[in-house]
Formats: sequence, C-alpha cells, structure tokens
Amino acid sequence: MTFAAIKGRFFASATLTLALGGAMAPAMAAPVASVEPEQSDVAQLTPPKASWFFINRGFTENSSAIYDTTTGKLLGHVETPQLTDLALDPAGKFYYVSSTLWTKASRGTRQDYVSVFDSVDLKLQTDIPIPGRLLVGGRLNNFVVSPDGKFGYVYNMSPASSVNVVDLAARKFVKSVELPGCASLVSVPGVGISALCSDGSLATLSLAGAKSAITRSEPFFSATDDPIFDNFQVDRTKNQIVMLSYTGKIYTATLGAKPVISAPFSLQEAAGVPAGSSAPNLVNWYPGGVQQMALHVPTGQLYVLMHMGEFWSHKAGASEVWQLDLATRKVVKRMAVPGEPRMIAVTQEATPHLVFAGEDETVYVYDLATGKQAWKLDQAGNGVITVAQSQ
Amino acid sequence: MIHFDADSLGEKVLRRFAGGTSRRGILARLGTALVAAPLFPVLPVSRANAAPAKPDRGPEAKTGFARGAQVTDNTKCDYWRYCAIDGALCTCCGGGVHTCPPGAEPSPVSWVGTCVNPEDGKSYLIAYRDCCGKSYCNKCNCDNADRETQIYVPQLNNDIIWCFGTQSMEYHCSTAVLVGAA
Repeated sequence: MTFAAIKGRFFASATLTLALGGAMAPAMAAPVASVEPEQSDVAQLTPPKASWFFINRGFTENSSAIYDTTTGKLLGHVETPQLTDLALDPAGKFYYVSSTLWTKASRGTRQDYVSVFDSVDLKLQTDIPIPGRLLVGGRLNNFVVSPDGKFGYVYNMSPASSVNVVDLAARKFVKSVELPGCASLVSVPGVGISALCSDGSLATLSLAGAKSAITRSEPFFSATDDPIFDNFQVDRTKNQIVMLSYTGKIYTATLGAKPVISAPFSLQEAAGVPAGSSAPNLVNWYPGGVQQMALHVPTGQLYVLMHMGEFWSHKAGASEVWQLDLATRKVVKRMAVPGEPRMIAVTQEATPHLVFAGEDETVYVYDLATGKQAWKLDQAGNGVITVAQSQ
Repeated sequence: MIHFDADSLGEKVLRRFAGGTSRRGILARLGTALVAAPLFPVLPVSRANAAPAKPDRGPEAKTGFARGAQVTDNTKCDYWRYCAIDGALCTCCGGGVHTCPPGAEPSPVSWVGTCVNPEDGKSYLIAYRDCCGKSYCNKCNCDNADRETQIYVPQLNNDIIWCFGTQSMEYHCSTAVLVGAA
C-alpha cells in the first residue's frame, strides 16, 4: 500500500468517525470533561521511612515491592531479579542490590555485581562488578552493609566460602577474603565481619589491617543437631546479634574482636511450655519458616513464627507469633496469625507494625499497639521482607 | 541425642561420584569449579563434625515425613526419596527421579539427604542433584527438610542453587539420585 493510499484511508476513516460522533452527540450531552492535554510524568519517592517495608515478590518475580504500613499503599518497586539480595543504605540515599545475571538469560557469560539505585527516583546509579556470590534465596545476611554505609559485604561460595568486600563510597570492589566453613554475615564496626560456622563457633574476620585474620569463638552450638538459623537479627544499639536454633534456643552475641556469647535459654520455657527437643516423635511448639523472627530494636521485643510440629519441621509456616521480651526472657504475648506465614518483619517505628507473609503471597500487616490487623495485601509477595534501620 | 554424621555422609557421596567418573574427562570439561568441589570433605565444614556416634535410623527415630512417605508416585512431594528435597521435581518437568529433562545438565555435586524407604524400613543416602542450564521449571514444587541445615553446612542445605561445575548455574529442577545404603 502506498503512502497516498494510507493517507486516503485515514481521512476516510476520520470523516466517518466525525460523522458518527455528530450523530451520537445528543445522547452524550452534558458534563464537559477536561480536555486539557496531559503529559506523561514519573512519580518520585522520599528516602525510606520507618513505616515502610520492602517485600521480595518471590522466586519468579523480579522486584521487591515497597509498601507503607501507615496507608497500606504500594509505593513502587526496587528491581531485585531472581536470587538477588537487597540492602539499604543506612543514610537512606541508596538501595543496593547484589545480583547475578547471564548475558543470554539462562546462558552466556555470568555477571555478578552490586547495583546502586537512588532511593528517590529509583534510577540506577551504577553497577559495581564483583567476582561472584552464592545463589540462594531467603537470606538476610548474605549481603550486609556496614552501619556507616561505607562497605558492603557479599557472601560467596564457589563452592569454597569467601566474602567480597565492596567500597560503597568509592563504588568499587576491594578484595575477596576466604571464610572457610562459615556463612551468614554481620558487620562488626572497627573490626570487619563475624559469621556462623559449621564447627558451632562464631568466626570473626578482621579486615581493618593490611592482612585479614580469622579468629573463632569456642563452639557454642551444634551445626547439625540443633542448627542456628542463618537469619539472625541485629541490634546496633547494643552491638548484638540475636540468634535462634531449631529447637527454640535463644542466644545473643555481643560483637567485637572477641565476641561474647550468652548462655542460651529456651523460647518455649519462656512461654511456660516444655523446652523444644531434637528427639524424634515429640510434638511441641517449634520456631519455623524462612525469615523466622523479627526484632524491634528500640523495645527489645522479638517476634517469632511458631508452629506445632516435630523436630525437622523448621521450614513450616506458623500458626502463632510469639512476642519475647529479651530483657526479662519472658514470652509476653502469643498471637494467632492467618496465612501460615514463613516470613516476618517488624517496622522500627515507635508504634511498630508486624508484617508477615505465607506462600500464597498475601501479606498481613498488624498494628502492634492494638494487636489488630491493619492491612491485608493481596499478591504482595512471599520473599524476604526488609525494613529500614534493621541492619 | 541423635548425632547426624555429616562427614561420612558427604564422603560416601563423593566416593561414589569419584568411582563412577573419568577424572581427566571431567576436569577437562568442568575446569576449576569441579576441582574445588571434592574439597568439601577436608574443609572445616565436615572435619568439625567428626561424629563419635552412629546415627539412629530405627523406626522409633522416624521423622514425620518418613512415617507418611509413599513409594509409588515420584511426582508427589511425599515420595520417600524426597525427604529433604527443595525445588521443582524433575519428574514433573520431562525428566525422571535421577534424569534431567532434555537440554538440562546434571550438577556433579549436590546436597544430600538420608531417607527411609517404607518398603524395607532402611535408610538410604540420596543425592539431590540439580538440573541446570535452563530456566526454572516451576512445577511440582516441594520443600521437605529432614536433617536439613543452614548454609554454613552447605552440603546439607537445600536452599542453595546446587549448580556448581555446570556450564550455566541457572536452576531448572531437582532429582533424587539413590547413592546407597546409609
């Protein structure tokens, strides 16, 4: 068809439309809508607020949705492709995403990098190439940022274990340091990082000097008989981590060049029920899920996903959330929860919101001041939940 | 307390693997990633766990999964070999219980489980080898966790993408290869 023919058809069609429009005009009379021409524009965010949470939408989606617990509204998405880890800049200026992608989708050259997004316009600032990273889902502590925001630490397993140190201020990869037999990282200011190990110890990797060095605590747990969940919680105000084992033992470690690890106590006994056991055929309350617990740092309240089951049911969804007061070592509240959640987080607001999700991608937001459900968010996601000021 | 012997379990899997493959051919094909893989038994991961006691696998020690397991349908999550599987079943994706679907590549290394066969009540060592190099099959997804640990004991963790030593680390589905008596 020639251009003249196309033009002729266009005019014929336009004339017909106008004629029809005129014939229909009487039926469509009255209110005159605005006919001001519009321009496409783009929404912007503020830096992250304490009332926000970020939920990875799951294994088959490529983003983390940002919600405000005050309004229940979806504000936008950070791009987090499959098996990536999201970390927040403590100053709130950037979102960091530790990623792996191949040049030709499922094949081609593997690329590992940390993407830097501006937190207001969500535009990519840069990608920082790194040598590699472990591909695993559901972990909070495989990509952590130092509290001063200067360094990022990316866990790698190839299958030898190591940590990739990234200078986030200079936006460049610094070095890779071996960390044999250990995983799950926490930044230790002025020292380097600490990590849980297969010999039941907490290793501390010194990165401050020219040479890195690893020291290990005395073994304090069994990595195969009663493992500590990778997803421990961090309290920066006390410079502590709070750890939870499969049977429900709670440990704390005060971080430093020589970490100090507390004697454990039983979460179940703190609630007045028998302590959890690794023995078979015993039905009891056990902690479980993927992101099993959440710490409200300002009040020292730990929220744990609990279910009735046997040992080795550590991935099961919860029927209750237990609120443990860490100072008095008492479970002060037990809440029945819907949706068999496997992920839980708590916003760090003065009046916090509990956020939890099960496999069906429904996210529940509870107002902890009232103990009532504030929002039920459909199709929100079932991956890791991140909140501001949690690292 | 039952002590789970991760060391001997890992050793068994790797010995079977070493016995059934041409070392030179594998090295040529897979390069450094696979060279690193057999290091597992000498890493502190395993050495730290040298176990004095033999694990109790008697009927009284059966897990909830083992008590409800079946032997007839390997496209279901409660098939006995799947006691510690996590991911899409290759039996639902064009493959089989030890067979990768067309175009996928089996990982030479894996995480392992010890599962009880209800037919004879005995425990068997299962290598959960991922099939790699194709996009996620996303059918018949299971997540069983008998004796499954965290990633600081990687050979017993089922969340890790076990596609080390394959041409692409893209995860497609998981198989449950019978290695032998536990």
